[in-house]
Amino acid sequence: MNLNEKVYDISEAGSIEPEGDRTIALQIGPSHPGSGHMRIKTRMDGDIITKVDADIGFVHRTSEWLSERRQFIKAIPIVERIMLPDTVHANLAYVLALEKILNIEPPPRAQYLRSLAAEINRITSHLYGIGIFGIFLGSSTVYMWAFGDREPFIDLMEMLTGARITNSYIVPGGVRWEMPKGFKEKAESTLQYMENRFNDYNDIWAKNPVVEARTVNVGVVDRNRAISLGVVGPNLRASGVDYDTRKASPYAAYKDIDFEVPKMNHGDSYDRLLIRIEEIKQSIRIIRQILKDMPEGKIIADSIYSQLNPVMKKVFEQEQRVMFPAFFNQMRPAAAESIARVEAGRGEIFFYLKTNGDKYPYRFRWVTPSFRNLAYFSDVAVGYRLADLPAIYGSIDYFPPEADR
Amino acid sequence: MGILLLIIWLIQDLLYLIVFPGLVVAMVLVILLIYLERKIAAKVQMRYGPLYVSRKVGGALQSVSDLLRFSFQEFILPIGSDSIAFLMAPGFMFAFAMMPLIFIPVGPYYSYLFPSTLTILFSVALITITPIYAIIVGWASDNKFSFIGSLREAFLVISYEIPLLLSVIAMVIVYRTLNYIPAVAFQETHLPGIILNPIAALVFIIVAIRSTGRFPFDITEADSELIMGLYTEYSALFFGIGMATPYIELYALSLIFSLLFLGGWWPVSIHATGLLAGLFLPGIIVIIKAFIVMMVLVFLRAVYPRYRVDQAVRSGWERIIYLGIIAVIISILEVIII
Repeated sequence: MNLNEKVYDISEAGSIEPEGDRTIALQIGPSHPGSGHMRIKTRMDGDIITKVDADIGFVHRTSEWLSERRQFIKAIPIVERIMLPDTVHANLAYVLALEKILNIEPPPRAQYLRSLAAEINRITSHLYGIGIFGIFLGSSTVYMWAFGDREPFIDLMEMLTGARITNSYIVPGGVRWEMPKGFKEKAESTLQYMENRFNDYNDIWAKNPVVEARTVNVGVVDRNRAISLGVVGPNLRASGVDYDTRKASPYAAYKDIDFEVPKMNHGDSYDRLLIRIEEIKQSIRIIRQILKDMPEGKIIADSIYSQLNPVMKKVFEQEQRVMFPAFFNQMRPAAAESIARVEAGRGEIFFYLKTNGDKYPYRFRWVTPSFRNLAYFSDVAVGYRLADLPAIYGSIDYFPPEADR
Repeated sequence: MGILLLIIWLIQDLLYLIVFPGLVVAMVLVILLIYLERKIAAKVQMRYGPLYVSRKVGGALQSVSDLLRFSFQEFILPIGSDSIAFLMAPGFMFAFAMMPLIFIPVGPYYSYLFPSTLTILFSVALITITPIYAIIVGWASDNKFSFIGSLREAFLVISYEIPLLLSVIAMVIVYRTLNYIPAVAFQETHLPGIILNPIAALVFIIVAIRSTGRFPFDITEADSELIMGLYTEYSALFFGIGMATPYIELYALSLIFSLLFLGGWWPVSIHATGLLAGLFLPGIIVIIKAFIVMMVLVFLRAVYPRYRVDQAVRSGWERIIYLGIIAVIISILEVIII
């Protein structure tokens, strides 16, 4: 007996009016435990959703406007604060776009450190998503576990970058800090801890009969539909599309690293749940490789290093810490435009940067993965029950501030 | 002489209803249960749980402080609500949740306000009244989320009441009585009910979880869908009463479970006499058994998320009811064979 078959498909059932007399309007949010920072305008026919209209913009923070009125280096903290669970990727995407304009190539060690920070961040981002999905289905245990297990990785980030969440670790030309002593050992013990936890997560989350009953065959989006809706990231791969920006156009150290891109076939909420756990496993594998293969060398490009003054160079030699040369504040890149793509925790970040020789960017434009997955959310929930809305919404791992920018 | 006897009876019954095992003990147990529920769930979830209220006793007074907070909060009456129903329904709900305790003996010598030989029938019948007031709460609140919550409650009530009655009927067939005390006596001379008819015990436990809204059937209060379900518009003490009602129901159902399936005051004989062995010891044993049952049921919070309403209703009609019928058949076979 399949309890989760879709009651009807809105495109096939011509007789059902999404906003007819039979339906009631239900405004979920913006102040609702199951909505996040947005308003989900739904129409319900009994228990069945006939229309979902996600009304976003409640946490719009004008990141583009702010960044176009500041020096280039000052956009880094701004983009980070938009994607709080996923800061390193936002930082990396912006810096990659900026480096293309500045024509700086970071040294190999910096590339590896960037990938290291990005993968640790991917794990924290996925754990965040798992936790939110857990509380949406009512599993407070998974919520607490995921947020608790996020802590060791955040501690790793603190050890590596000096900050827990908003690291601002990646700067044009390299990274700010050298890997500290003892980091490898601590990272290894953290990874082992996480690997031991997978069994617990299987018992209480992935293999839990109630979770399976709630998510299998719920919110199914097949391969073609996922592609035509422009879905990105783990949600796209859960629908069976083998696409990962790390493989498609490698950045940082990913072209030297051997890893698999997990993909699922069915594209339902359960697949989207499993793929995040699989991606954490792959991230653990990548971190191990990075720690083993990390090349020696400088962490900052020579063109930046040569601009450090003697005091800064002394600090760099002693503490392996990059102090910002005046160039960072005063840079006026020539008129150019560039794009950068980075596979963040929730999907691909796209960055477009245009300069006109001024101190500030002429156009600063970015598209975040949550924004791209939103169309998907509005489309896929129709025809399911009200109680499926959190099961779909949680599985998409939508982060409203990220979409609103 | 007759009037004096009546007064003694009334005092006895009032004590029974208000002190033991009624309101006072029930509230103390509920407060303790909520604390332990939070503390054990916290232990599973790698956190402390209640701690900062009364730090010396590990936060045990957290529930008391919550109760006080509810008592002194501002009460808000929504403009669109049906105010009389809105104000009265939680009180009735709580009262009807308490009512079965009149008919549930926690020892061989307890009397009742209405002396009866049909105590099993009355207590189970009273348990099925509470959900009607839950539906009134949802209607009176004038809130779509409350309304959806009450509709869910209505669906669930219909799907779980019949299995509840079937499992009780199965045990009544075995014990050949509608009175709790002979039922416990039967278990003392034969076997505990859970061994006599494990299917009936299973059905009763599932129905107890479902009717008191414990996980994984925390459907009418699903916070990610319905904010707080029925109690979305409630505040202050009315909210506290609404929150306490399922726990009182759970207490009543656990008492019934321990009497029907766990041998009641079993290690103490039904023929024991004296104040200690005849009066207090049986009561304490029954309540300890019931408390263990309650603890197991609330612990499910840490393990399971919640089912969807249609899944719960469908499993009620397509699985649990057949289990109930099987339990009745097992009982009939036992009666025929033995």
